[in-house]
Amino acid sequence: MHAPETSFPPSPAKPSDVVVSLVDLRLSYPSPEGEIAVLRGVDLAVRAGEIVAVTGPSGSGKSSLIAVVGGLETPTGGSVRVLGTALESADERTRTALRRRDIGIVFQAYHLVPAMTALENVALPLVLAGEEGGEAAAQAMLREVGLGHRMSHRPSSLSGGEQQRVAVARAFVAGPRLVLADEPTGNLDRRTGEHVAQVMFSLTRASGAALVLVTHDEALARACDRIVAIDEGRIVEERVVRDPVAAGARG
Amino acid sequence: MSGASSGISPLRRLVRAELAAGIAGLRLFIACVAIAAFMLGAVWMLGAGLSRALSENGTIMLGGDVAVEVVNAPLDADLVVRLADLGTLSEVSELRSTAIAGDARTPVEAKVVDDAYPLVGEIALAQSADGVPTLAEALSEREGLPGTVVEPALLSRLGLSVGDTMTLGGGTFEIRAVLLREPDRLSAGFLVGPRVIVSEAAGRAAGLLSSQGLVDYRYRLRADDGDAQALAAAVAALEPERGWELETPADAGDRVRETVARVTTFLGIAAMVALAIGLTGAWAASRVWIGRRVRTIALYRLSGAEPGLVVALHGVLVAIAAGIGIALGLAGAGVLAFVLMDLLAARLHLPWQPAALASAGALAALTLAIGIAGACASALSGAARTPPGAAMRSADTIPTPRPRDAALGAAAIAAAILLAILGLPDEILAATAAFGLVLAAALLAGAGWLVARAAARVKPRGFVARVALQGLDDPAKAAMRAVAIGIGIAGITAVVGAQRSLDTALRAELPDRIPDLVLLDVQQAGIGPLTARVEADPLLGGLQASPFMRATITAVNGVPAAEALVREDKDWVISGDRSFAWAAEPTGAELLGGAWWPVDYAGPPLVSAEEDVQEAFDLVPGDTLTFSVLGRSFTAEVANIRMEYHRTFRPEFLLVASPVPFRDAPHSWIVTLEGETDAAVDALVADLARDAPGVTAIDVRRIVDDLTRVVEGAGLASLAIAGLLLVVGALALTAIVAADVDSRERQALAFTLVGASRREIAAARLAEAGTIGALAALVGGGAGLAGSFWLASAGLRVDFAPGIVALVLPLALGLAAALAAGIVGGLGAAPRGRGQLVRRLAG
Ligand SMILES: Nc1ncnc2c1ncn2[C@@H]1O[C@H](COP(=O)(O)OP(=O)(O)OP(=O)(O)O)[C@@H](O)[C@H]1O
Ligand SMILES: [Mg+2]
Repeated sequence: MHAPETSFPPSPAKPSDVVVSLVDLRLSYPSPEGEIAVLRGVDLAVRAGEIVAVTGPSGSGKSSLIAVVGGLETPTGGSVRVLGTALESADERTRTALRRRDIGIVFQAYHLVPAMTALENVALPLVLAGEEGGEAAAQAMLREVGLGHRMSHRPSSLSGGEQQRVAVARAFVAGPRLVLADEPTGNLDRRTGEHVAQVMFSLTRASGAALVLVTHDEALARACDRIVAIDEGRIVEERVVRDPVAAGARG
Repeated sequence: MSGASSGISPLRRLVRAELAAGIAGLRLFIACVAIAAFMLGAVWMLGAGLSRALSENGTIMLGGDVAVEVVNAPLDADLVVRLADLGTLSEVSELRSTAIAGDARTPVEAKVVDDAYPLVGEIALAQSADGVPTLAEALSEREGLPGTVVEPALLSRLGLSVGDTMTLGGGTFEIRAVLLREPDRLSAGFLVGPRVIVSEAAGRAAGLLSSQGLVDYRYRLRADDGDAQALAAAVAALEPERGWELETPADAGDRVRETVARVTTFLGIAAMVALAIGLTGAWAASRVWIGRRVRTIALYRLSGAEPGLVVALHGVLVAIAAGIGIALGLAGAGVLAFVLMDLLAARLHLPWQPAALASAGALAALTLAIGIAGACASALSGAARTPPGAAMRSADTIPTPRPRDAALGAAAIAAAILLAILGLPDEILAATAAFGLVLAAALLAGAGWLVARAAARVKPRGFVARVALQGLDDPAKAAMRAVAIGIGIAGITAVVGAQRSLDTALRAELPDRIPDLVLLDVQQAGIGPLTARVEADPLLGGLQASPFMRATITAVNGVPAAEALVREDKDWVISGDRSFAWAAEPTGAELLGGAWWPVDYAGPPLVSAEEDVQEAFDLVPGDTLTFSVLGRSFTAEVANIRMEYHRTFRPEFLLVASPVPFRDAPHSWIVTLEGETDAAVDALVADLARDAPGVTAIDVRRIVDDLTRVVEGAGLASLAIAGLLLVVGALALTAIVAADVDSRERQALAFTLVGASRREIAAARLAEAGTIGALAALVGGGAGLAGSFWLASAGLRVDFAPGIVALVLPLALGLAAALAAGIVGGLGAAPRGRGQLVRRLAG
């Protein structure tokens, strides 16, 4: 794998390094009827190499949580530390830089650039990072997700599963230390979904990144290292499925 | 549900449902259509109304089927008798005089008419306390006083009202009515004062026709058998010894006609540009609308609607919106055209028919309907091709239209432009303008295509450059965007450049306010006292007195003048009496050849010929000219050739002779002078009113001010037209920018996800839009400048003077287009505000 080698810091991350740390995280949205409290005090830590599933009923605040951790939304209370950066006080520039360097994000709706080919979409983060040889890395990553034969296709001529795999490839291409995925399999049938999830898992394991995965799929959640259930903006249950370090050693 | 026949009732239901929901999404479309309709309609209606009024009323303007005109002395009585034998005759004489009431006096344009006047058309008099009198009643003698009708300006200048009396020449007249319209007004030249009409008997009694001054005698004939051509031939066959000017209705009002043709050409081309921009806007707006409805259309298709029904539904909705836009625009245009037409017709003293407006309005509606159908073809075709599956995908761009439909759309637009060409008075000019627009569009498309090809080749490393170039690399799209933005820039630049040129030319044609005063009919005996009076007043000066006479050129080097003529277009120098003076000293005009005679020269007559005479006969100093003055014939050697500027109020003479023997012939003088203050000039005018009532004082200050007002009004009007074009342009631009706001927003979301900053996204978009904007500005602006050069020189026949505005405007418009696209699609594309981003990303 090229990506981890090129973009990881010289001292290899210890699996116990905390990548995400949330303390009493609060978020509310303005609305005509006043502020709506969406996250009401979330405490959570995610370590490098760990795959965390976030589950919960619709409207419980999962996507909002992803947005805050990804620096897309500023919390209205509490603290968010991501890879050493305090996001609650970071300006937009810092948050953008963090996302560009260290975070990959996948949403249910793919969010590919319609006018760009699969290859151009995947290469985008490398272009933003100003990296040499982005083309080759992007090609390798597309092959990794099984789309070596679809490089010059535009999103409009790709199936949903293929588009989501392009989005996954794009999230991983620049060697992020944290990947956030919001129901990445929500639009896909079971088999395709499993395939996409498997690709994500293996990329995560290979790179040693942390993965936070929002899902409604019970089976998929059980395949993760830890399951965090939230409801009405609070964590209501945390369940460790396996120790990622031990699992990594086993695998 | 299958086929169109069984689709009618669902169509009706769907249309009703959609209308109930409202067609607010088509507001931009309606606005584009309405403004284009307003401009096209107003211009066509006004143009049609004016040119019809002018072409249909030639006989009225001329005052008969044939007219002959002589200056200074009337035709011989026996010739008049022979004229009267050919048809119904009316004699009208016109002269400048002065109306006096108490201490107030003002120059007037007096018109002495016989009982037969007017042969054609009608005099319009204002309603007075005891009804509207006929002209004959108004001019008749009542209680020993002859009557007169006068234009309103005279009443206000002298402080009189109907029923009062005033002095004109040697007679006193009672003002019986206010003159609103005289049918033959356009046959008169430039009027320096209000019109006053008196009867022949009264005019003669007042000495108006026997003065030494300048009188135009006009003899109008009406064919009794209706055969105007035969009458004209018969009159021409009379061939009197002294030259006369023979005119037919085709010649009448040619100066006004030329002005109207110029103006309608300018307006018509502006309207064609408005049509082109409006259609571009309609094209873009219809694509925005359909683009936003792709999901809805897909849902219709999912529930069983066939492509035909989808097209029918959207076609009907677009047609309704277009109908609203056209109706709004044409209603406004109709009101404006009616008001303006009423105003202009009154000023031109012409009758006009509102029916002329209606047919022009109908033609405009048809043209717009066809053009809009063409402009919407691509969007509707795209709607037809929207697959039901689009409901499930996030794609919301319109499918590309079928080539056949695109071709049909282009054909409809071509048909609309063809109609626009036929709707203009000068088809060749209009066709050239249309061709220019098409050429500009082709150039823009070619440039866009080339840039796209070039963009596809480069692969820069940076995000901004790469994303910008990536947005440019589709040749068809780049070409379309370059045309959409550039065609408006080209058209607006062309019109503004032409408008600036016209404005400059009009201002240059304004006569200088020097001299301030022109005095006509100053008698020999009056020159001395007048000179003394002016010399005594330090505030007055620049006095120049010239003898005022008339001469007819009869031969050149012994050859009859008509045969000696080498330039047909200069034949006016031999038709009738022309200005003539004698001078001992050089007049101050620039000499093109030869020399002035010595101040004390008393030998055989020498003559100075104006440039036009030289050109008419290819004259050189040393040739001889034979001319008649006051019935006597003289042959004189040409001493020099003079050049005169025709834009001053100084007297200019076609021929100036050495003093002997003309100095002893009876003649009046024309005097010009300048005043340092208006009060000094006014005082002199008042003195003259008392001491020399026969002198007509023409106040150049007032005339120049009046002309300046007219020119400024014209400038303002053409500026309003250019401004309106800018509004259509802005609307079209809004539509073009809005056309891809949605896809830009999606792009911006994706870029945000991978860590591009707002600034980078905006910079990329600005670079992309800026490239197209710069391209449109350069190519469109260049084409527009070329167009305005052509429009100014060929269409308006004025010097090309686009001014800095026309140079800067295209750049400003291109920049505005780029900024608008950059701001809307870049800075504003990624949603701001708490919760907005997550809703778009996760929603
Ligand atoms: N911009 C906003 N303004 C106001 N309320 C919002 C906004 N965005 C989200 N919400 C509300 O915040 C709550 C949490 O939304 P969020 O999208 O985080 O839920 P979720 O857990 O991801 O749900 P789902 O499983 O349906 O995706 C919801 O009740 C939603 O209605
Ligand atoms: Mg969600």
